Amino acid sequence: MALVLHAGNTNKNGFKALIAAEYSGIQVELVKNFVMGVSNKTPEFLKMNPIGKVPVLETPDGPVFESNAIARYVTRLKADNPLYGCSLIEYAHIEQWIDYASMEIDANLARWLYPRLGYMPYLAVAEEAAISSLKRALGALNTHLASSTYLVGHSVTLADIVMTCNLYLGFSMILVKSFTSEFPHVERYFWTMVNQPNFHKVVGEVKQVDSVPPVPSQKKPVQPKEPAKPKEVKKEPKKEPAKPNVQEVLEEEEEAPKPKPKNPLDLLPPSKMILDEWKRLYSNTKTNFREVAIKGFWDMYDPEGYSLWFCDYKYNDENTVSFVTLNKVSGFLQRMDLTRKYAFGKMLVIGSEPPFKVKGVWLFRGQEIPKFVLDEVYDMELYDWAKVDISDEAQKELVNAMIEDQEPFEGEALLDAKCFK
Amino acid sequence: MALVLHATRTNKNGIKALIAAEYSGVEIEMAKNFQMGVSNTTPEFLKMNPIGKVPLLETPDGPIFESNAIARYVARLKADNPLYGSSLFEYALIEQWIDFASTEIDPNIAQWFYPRHGLKPYFAAAEEAAVRALKRALRALNTHLASKTYLVGHSVTLADIIMACNLYLGFLCIMTKSFTAEFPHVERYYWTMVNLPNFRKVLGEVKQADAVPPVPSQKKPAEAEEPTREPVRSKVEEEVAEKVEELEQGNKLYQWTKVDISDEGNRESVNAMIGEEDAFEGEALPDAKCFE
Repeated sequence: MALVLHAGNTNKNGFKALIAAEYSGIQVELVKNFVMGVSNKTPEFLKMNPIGKVPVLETPDGPVFESNAIARYVTRLKADNPLYGCSLIEYAHIEQWIDYASMEIDANLARWLYPRLGYMPYLAVAEEAAISSLKRALGALNTHLASSTYLVGHSVTLADIVMTCNLYLGFSMILVKSFTSEFPHVERYFWTMVNQPNFHKVVGEVKQVDSVPPVPSQKKPVQPKEPAKPKEVKKEPKKEPAKPNVQEVLEEEEEAPKPKPKNPLDLLPPSKMILDEWKRLYSNTKTNFREVAIKGFWDMYDPEGYSLWFCDYKYNDENTVSFVTLNKVSGFLQRMDLTRKYAFGKMLVIGSEPPFKVKGVWLFRGQEIPKFVLDEVYDMELYDWAKVDISDEAQKELVNAMIEDQEPFEGEALLDAKCFK
Repeated sequence: MALVLHATRTNKNGIKALIAAEYSGVEIEMAKNFQMGVSNTTPEFLKMNPIGKVPLLETPDGPIFESNAIARYVARLKADNPLYGSSLFEYALIEQWIDFASTEIDPNIAQWFYPRHGLKPYFAAAEEAAVRALKRALRALNTHLASKTYLVGHSVTLADIIMACNLYLGFLCIMTKSFTAEFPHVERYYWTMVNLPNFRKVLGEVKQADAVPPVPSQKKPAEAEEPTREPVRSKVEEEVAEKVEELEQGNKLYQWTKVDISDEGNRESVNAMIGEEDAFEGEALPDAKCFE
């Protein structure tokens, strides 16, 4: 089985493994049809890497994530690989510069570049700090390279591969000549590396960016490319060198803060029921709850625009300790926070002794449980959900009982009732 | 010649190497009279590490910097060290989790903690992003550890040493029980690790923060040098003030870009030290409480 690398073909973190493979005589294939933001969100992918980041290498023994670790593994597939030096101290120095490339160079480049591309909030002070740190790091690197062609020893090692890939992002996206000329040895080093045959084979022609990306306009936040359609500049080795796909690299660093995509619930036809009015009625009714609030609810309820759902916790036998059970419910309600505009719920913890039963009633905008709730709130799958049939008087009465914290509830005492509004 | 580690004994980045050494039967001496912010700014030190950060290991074959690289070197001093697993694939997984600990856990804890500790400028948006990223990482780690005692295989590896040391700063200074309760497998893992004999030998008794340090007051930025700012200064704040002063002395060796967020001279110095994260990381505050 060949080694399969899950990454796009312009991801500098994927390059590390590919270049290491060239040097080591190892076959690494890029997975077919990889789509950033889509392929790495599937359950199969998350089984390989629970944090869902890219790249991931599939090996006969299992998956490996973290770009440097992947590059190390590929390197070690070849015994006594010169990429790892020829002594223990050389090995240590190689690891030293790999870490340096990641902590000192890459991290600061990211903090400078991504906000300007609109992928992270832009803060002038934070950017200045990142640039200052980067300059410090490049300064030290420059000193080291003053009398060295390679980072360690006298030939390319894994440290050079990782360092060069990290610098590549900088040189092609944000480090202009006037910036890098302060670090002439780093410049010499970089251009020497990217023109080595094994680097050139993977990365293609490299051009230095000629201007720093502008600060994103504060009024219109930059819309990052749709993850489903990564804008991949086709590699035309003879003409324009491919720009690294920052969106891809970003997915390894940060989730592009999706500019609040339109919630499909906002696109539903308007409803006469105003959720906030119900919430106000619920909260402000102190006496005659049944006559005022419950009646008011059914008066304003719009079965076309909203739906009611019962939920029933699937694992009530776990609920043996009262405060743990209550915490579980609190956690659920906290995680529901993102649905506040579209939902109202009551959760009841029932019973005078363990195991406690947890049940609830929820009002959701729309006719279904909103998909984004099922996707984002993992507690949802811990409950059985059933749509309320409001033509059934018994079910309607159950809804009422839950909204008003009726006790006894189905013949039992209530330990607690929590409201989501 | 013995191996000499330049760091304070409570620096969690130095601790990585010390624990690895315990497991590997390697002897490491601490550099004598090491003073943070002073010892690492001398020309001799900068010859060993041009960026002047800490820790640094002196070996018979030359100096090594970057805490993970040092720990790896120490582990490799022992042939076939179980800390490195027993197959190529295990080795890959160990490196994977070392990197995860360094890119997903450590920087996000730092980004959350240091501004609250007054060592970096505080921005609510930046903190929010860091906490979100940290939770995402801890969730993934929690998933992985649900059915495991160790990160890789069935015994301690270098990945566990580095992960535990990175978590150590978090647990000690900013991640309270109500925060970590969402990641019960990570909790179990952490307490198991820090109570293993070789960890305990180096770390001593380990406690969890009981409160998140407050956001520094915006009007009077953390003026670590002014003893009159707080009526009662905790031991922690005094230590921080000391360190800030130490570092300030070292600042003269560097060129600074003026950061325009305040006109406090010391604020400038603190900002300029932002890159000097190693200087503060994991300075395990002997008084386990951070700011009250």
